[in-house]
Amino acid sequence: MKVKVIQWHAVASWTWDAKDELCAICKLPFDGCCTECKYPGDDCPLVWGACSHPFHLHCIVKWTGTQNRAHCPLCRRDWQIQTETQ
Amino acid sequence: MSSTSTPNRGLTKIATNRLQKELLEWQVNPPAGFKHKVTDNLQRWIIEVTGAPGTLYANETYQLQVDFPEHYPMEAPQVIFLPPSPLHAHIYSNGHICLDILYDSWSPAMTVSSICMSILSMLSSSTVKQRPPDNDRYVKNCRNGRSPKDTRWWFHDDKV
Repeated sequence: MKVKVIQWHAVASWTWDAKDELCAICKLPFDGCCTECKYPGDDCPLVWGACSHPFHLHCIVKWTGTQNRAHCPLCRRDWQIQTETQ
Repeated sequence: MSSTSTPNRGLTKIATNRLQKELLEWQVNPPAGFKHKVTDNLQRWIIEVTGAPGTLYANETYQLQVDFPEHYPMEAPQVIFLPPSPLHAHIYSNGHICLDILYDSWSPAMTVSSICMSILSMLSSSTVKQRPPDNDRYVKNCRNGRSPKDTRWWFHDDKV
């Protein structure tokens, strides 16, 4: 039997690989976006600290911007963005 | 003076959103020993705290006033006891509280609930009812209505 594909419709879903469901700063879900954004995903990315705690990029930047020496809001270690996926 | 008829006027979007979420969460799951007095002002919360059973402050009730800055939670709220404030080695008679998380050690991951629990734990671990040794001098210096957030605090005692 020969099958001819005339049309196909792909559906994909994505989720951030973050264990805690909510951003500790804005308390909104990681799979949504921060308070100021409209669309989740590339427009409102997550970042992980070297300490492995994730936040919305926009949220953590607002926090580090107010600090002389920024600490992770969750563990108080010096805040550094994790560069390589571990 | 802020007016309750124009609530939330000075809050950013993230602050308003966070506070609405915290209020909702509080209504579902309030911290034990605390009661939020309902008003239409999201920017100032009045919270009643009752001393934990078996502690020096058992059955005593005090009022906390929590004022949120425009950039909450990037900046800590101002938290004071309304008079009369509890007799405690870290609480001044004008209601100012010497507690590091309210000033230098604030983190935006903290919430009103977590602040409340820190304050209750501070009360509960007290073994003697007394004012801080420098109470009179400090309160005199604050007579012009200075905010405790403008005080340069020394945090020296983790035990109480």
